[in-house]
Amino acid sequence: MSYTLRGRIESRLAAAALPLAAAVGWSAAARAWWPLELAALVLAVGLAFDLGAYHRLLAYQPGWAALPLGALELVVVMLLVRALEIQAPLQPALAFFLLAWLWAQVLGHAALPLARLEYAEDGGELGRAGVPLGVAVALVLVTAGGVAWLTQPPTVRLHGVVDGPLVLDHAQTLVGGIVRGGIVITADDVTVRDVTVVGGDNPIEVREAHDVRLDRVHVSGAREDGINARQSEVRVTDCVVDAPPGTQGIDLSFAIDAGMSSVEGCVVHGGDVGITMHAMMGEIEDNVVVSAAWHGIELTEMSMGHVRRNEVMRAGDASIYCGDHSVCHVEDNRVVAGRGPAVLAFYHAGAHLDGNTVVRTPRPRHSSDSTFDVD
Amino acid sequence: MTRIAIVGSGLAGLVAYATLRAGGVAADEISVYGDTADPAAAWRMRAEAIRQRQMRSESDGHPFPRTFPGLAVREAARTLDPAPLVLSLADRYRPSVSTFLDAVERVRERSGWDSSLEPRRVSLVTLCHKGFRVDDHGSFEHVLLALGHPGLAWPDDRDARYVHAYEPHAFARRVAVVGAGMAAATEWRNASADGAEVISVRRREPVLRPLNLPRPFFTKRGLDEYRRGDRAAFLEAFSTPSYPRELHRDVPVAREVPDDAEQVVCATGFLRGYAHDPVLARLVAEHDLPTAAGRIVLDDDSTIPELTDGTRTLAVAGVHAQWAFPAADTLAGMRWVAHRFLRRCRTR
Repeated sequence: MSYTLRGRIESRLAAAALPLAAAVGWSAAARAWWPLELAALVLAVGLAFDLGAYHRLLAYQPGWAALPLGALELVVVMLLVRALEIQAPLQPALAFFLLAWLWAQVLGHAALPLARLEYAEDGGELGRAGVPLGVAVALVLVTAGGVAWLTQPPTVRLHGVVDGPLVLDHAQTLVGGIVRGGIVITADDVTVRDVTVVGGDNPIEVREAHDVRLDRVHVSGAREDGINARQSEVRVTDCVVDAPPGTQGIDLSFAIDAGMSSVEGCVVHGGDVGITMHAMMGEIEDNVVVSAAWHGIELTEMSMGHVRRNEVMRAGDASIYCGDHSVCHVEDNRVVAGRGPAVLAFYHAGAHLDGNTVVRTPRPRHSSDSTFDVD
Repeated sequence: MTRIAIVGSGLAGLVAYATLRAGGVAADEISVYGDTADPAAAWRMRAEAIRQRQMRSESDGHPFPRTFPGLAVREAARTLDPAPLVLSLADRYRPSVSTFLDAVERVRERSGWDSSLEPRRVSLVTLCHKGFRVDDHGSFEHVLLALGHPGLAWPDDRDARYVHAYEPHAFARRVAVVGAGMAAATEWRNASADGAEVISVRRREPVLRPLNLPRPFFTKRGLDEYRRGDRAAFLEAFSTPSYPRELHRDVPVAREVPDDAEQVVCATGFLRGYAHDPVLARLVAEHDLPTAAGRIVLDDDSTIPELTDGTRTLAVAGVHAQWAFPAADTLAGMRWVAHRFLRRCRTR
């Protein structure tokens, strides 16, 4: 078909109407914004390509072109999902895109030509229906955006030193400042960013909360764990934890049914254990863990997860520990100057090892009841 | 009351009739005037004459009022073979002539064509109070002139050896084929297959392209460009004979008909221009209608603006509508005109 620019835009909006409506319902049912954010992103990427490229480059678009163009849009959408940190799970996001794309094909090749005699010869334009359709789609997006804006968690900015413990018992974003005596998070949808926390049993403590994000926090002076989460879904990024002897740096535990938690890009120094997860599904990636007395990184008690691209230095008993019925994918890590084995699988644990570099550290080892699977 | 007349009972007339019916116009509101009840009669005779087996047009080249489902979808559904669909996605599907003629027959049956047909040739369309008189058959608010090609084009000097490609003929032993279009390419093959020695008589190299026009000119996008430019020059440029690459065959070429040719097949197409059609020629003369390069200057919806207003419509379909839609002589073009004609019939 040879689309006019208006035809491309109106056809795009017509195809987006149903996925958008589905996304509104999905967001309401799941009490999450990502379906709507994803639908809006798919539409925005499509319109951007229509305006910026397709109209100028494709005077005529054969049927087969829908496949490569759809693939191109999918790649861009998924990159933007990642860049914009839209919390869309991969498989549902792919399924949503695929179904929306299929619907667009059915609509463009069959339904619209059946409904409107002149559809093809008018280059995809919808006649008098075009403007109301555009207004309707815009209204849905503006309304949803307004609701999202009005219901987004408030941002609290701290200045200077604040005495804790602070209890965060409703959704919010806490930014900046220094907190003495710790932060306790008990609500969902809490973000703590650029905050330094000093002292307390657990300087940052998370309890039965979801969608918790700890971003660029600095933690020191803990009496037990630097960051301690229980039955919670937490994402820790770019943190710095200074763990005194006898404590643990980061301990996220007992939330195997709460989805994935992760520790990414952190620097943890000292403590008995650097980063540990008990009974969790998690990812520990791109961290630097230095001088842990026992274990640098630990996945244990039936945990499942990835330990990737970390650097573990001068750990004591084991640099990376996979224990107690856990299943661990240990890949592309660098282990330096550890006293115990670089990787230890212990007590019915299974570890998959691939691409790890071991320097001045005893070789990986497993107990007789545990297994290594090496690529 | 019969308020709509379609003058011409060929393919353009059928497409217009089916479109009006699909648009909710009752059969008893429409009268179709023409020589024959079979809308494909003239086309079939020409296709048989050149032994055409496949259409040049693609899936959209059908007489149904809507583009979907096209012939590829219908054939795939009928044969449970996805190949037509796959070929269509890549613009490689060419329906067979029999598939096309079946579609014509189906439209004829389902639309009620025969119930509206008046088997009479029309020679005069004149203006009257609130409409047009069509010969002495009555007056109509809306009239579509779907008159078809005005006749076969022949070379100036011809003798007894000359036959036209679009008329039934057998081949002699030494055959000269005049022309470089779709019919000529087909006749090169036909004559060779019959064991004849073939020579192509042409003055320019053939233009190889899949359709009559580049695809954007079948939609509003290309039309906007066409309307902004010099229409007469455009139509002249694209009136050059052409055919799809897959039909090309290397044959000896001459600029003049050889004296020793036993038969000369004229693949020279049709007469061009309104002047060759008595109904159109009379309308132009009586109403002093503007013309350009042998064509009536039409409005963008294929109506004759001087004879069309809020109460009446005189529109043109088929090859004579190329001023409004350059591919008007194709099935897609006939449908395009029919859609615009329906719009006027619905709202008046």
